[in-house]
Amino acid sequence: MSTLRPALIGTGTGTATSAAASRRLGVWLVCCLGATLLFTAGGLLIGTSSIETSWQWLLAPDAQSSVVLWQIRLPRTVGAWFAGALLGLAGAIAQGVFRNPLAEPYLLGTASGAALGVTICLMLVDASIGGLAWFDKLGITGAACIGACAATLLTITLARGVLQTASLLLSGIVTAFLLSAVTSLLLLTKPEVWREMQTFLLGSTAFIGWSSATLLGAVFFLCVVPATLLSRGLDALSLGEETAQSLGLSLPWLRLTLLGVVALATSTSVGQVGIVGFVGLVAPHLVRETLSVNHRQLLIAAPLCGGALLQAADLISRSIIRPAELPVGAVTACVGGSYLVFLLWRRSRDG
Amino acid sequence: MAEARRGPTAALTVALACRDLSVGYGARTVLEGVSLEIAAGQWTAVVGPNGSGKSTLLRTLAGLRKPNGGRIELLGRPLSAWPRRERARNLAWLAQASAATELTAGEVVALGRFAHSGWLAHRKADDDAAMHRAMLATGSLSWAERRLSTLSGGERQRVHLARVLAVEAGVLLLDEPTTHLDPPHQEDVARLLREQAHRCGVSVVSAIHDLSLALTADRLVVLGDRGVIGHGTVREALAGDWLSAAFRTRVDIVEHDGVHLWRPALAAPPRA
Repeated sequence: MSTLRPALIGTGTGTATSAAASRRLGVWLVCCLGATLLFTAGGLLIGTSSIETSWQWLLAPDAQSSVVLWQIRLPRTVGAWFAGALLGLAGAIAQGVFRNPLAEPYLLGTASGAALGVTICLMLVDASIGGLAWFDKLGITGAACIGACAATLLTITLARGVLQTASLLLSGIVTAFLLSAVTSLLLLTKPEVWREMQTFLLGSTAFIGWSSATLLGAVFFLCVVPATLLSRGLDALSLGEETAQSLGLSLPWLRLTLLGVVALATSTSVGQVGIVGFVGLVAPHLVRETLSVNHRQLLIAAPLCGGALLQAADLISRSIIRPAELPVGAVTACVGGSYLVFLLWRRSRDG
Repeated sequence: MAEARRGPTAALTVALACRDLSVGYGARTVLEGVSLEIAAGQWTAVVGPNGSGKSTLLRTLAGLRKPNGGRIELLGRPLSAWPRRERARNLAWLAQASAATELTAGEVVALGRFAHSGWLAHRKADDDAAMHRAMLATGSLSWAERRLSTLSGGERQRVHLARVLAVEAGVLLLDEPTTHLDPPHQEDVARLLREQAHRCGVSVVSAIHDLSLALTADRLVVLGDRGVIGHGTVREALAGDWLSAAFRTRVDIVEHDGVHLWRPALAAPPRA
């Protein structure tokens, strides 16, 4: 018994992770950051204009290549990282709150809410002849955010609060269907908006400028701080809702706060890059497949993973059929979808 | 029940009490008119047939389920009047089914200190000491770094028991703390609960399926189809044959060297 010391369970900052496990986490985080740097470099090199732009800038920086690199490519790749990180974070929180590995950021109806907001916005812009420039710029992002938040509120209202997991999931589905139907009806009356909407629905990182990237970054830090502070609540929730309550947690408060973070993160990313599927679902999965983590670690690792994933998808989307671009949402759907199929296949093989 | 309140036990101080408690799920009433006084510093076992509301009773007493009617008092103060954190420091609850999470056993036990250490989990020396004691007592210390998902059902149960003990609450409500455990470990848990009650002055209430094990407790709450059959010391329960009334069949308890054992009818020697 002499080997059993209190220190065995009392080391460090409050989580009992063995040295080996924290080393693995460290290696993992370094890999993620390395991939991010690599993809950022790639994002600077590859673009719709030729690769030569980059070399040209390196050899003799002229005004045009500078603009391409620093005003178009860099904000785009940085913004893509933050958007992916937001989705990864939202996915990790949603999976913890709902205690369901299949939960994803859009399950509160945010995606269809944002789509409806954008549709209404585009129709209004179209209606006001010439369109106010600020409305056009602010409008789409803002409308997506408002739509997403409204959809979240509608979902929570339909579920009569945040306490019933099953009702929340169900009313999320109902909200999504309802709002999609309204969007489709609206689009039927204005077919000319349809094309513009398509870019949004498929997701695209092409429109991220420095203002978008800054917004995404700011919201990311705004979300990741409270989320990691509340990570102990997610740990407690993983023991069961009643157990969490018996430990002295306020379940309604915890869930409402965390779902608020999910709504904020999702709506911001949807507003800037449109509906990008699978990143929010796959990033936390990828972390959990390779590491066993508690929620504080997950809430740091999943955004890093999601950011790198969306950057990679962005790279693929702009390099595969150059000089044209694939919608990044289509790329993430293909890659993320096949990864999930692989997971399923491996699970059924392992029994 | 009137008979439960007679005798010397009435002098005991009361840790947890309920009056006219009725609880139901939707239209179905599970418990009605339940009045109990849980004696302080004693181990009380709750027994009764399946569906008699043992778990519901414990959940309601733990404040996890709102009763349809009646009052609950924890340490003389209405349960609903306790601030959440303070209540969690004084009353701990163990669920019947233990969750298998990706957390390590040490992390799970540390969650038991949530009501003390709060969100940021800045553990102090007394938090570490409480965790250490709890894990040592349940024999789960050597798994501190193992993921709960890699432990067996019985090992997991002991980790969750350690989490409950780590709260160092004055009142423990345990729903089937001996499930998934092999008989020697069931006995260990029973001994642990008795020790908690007698040596640490903790009031322990546990639902227990195994009748022989339940009869090693200090007091019994016997639940039947329609609420409490009886509530008192083990001796009172046996004298009144509350168990037979609760299970609606003859429950044969034999005494062997001062130990009460349930004898299944199957095991009875054939009559000549």
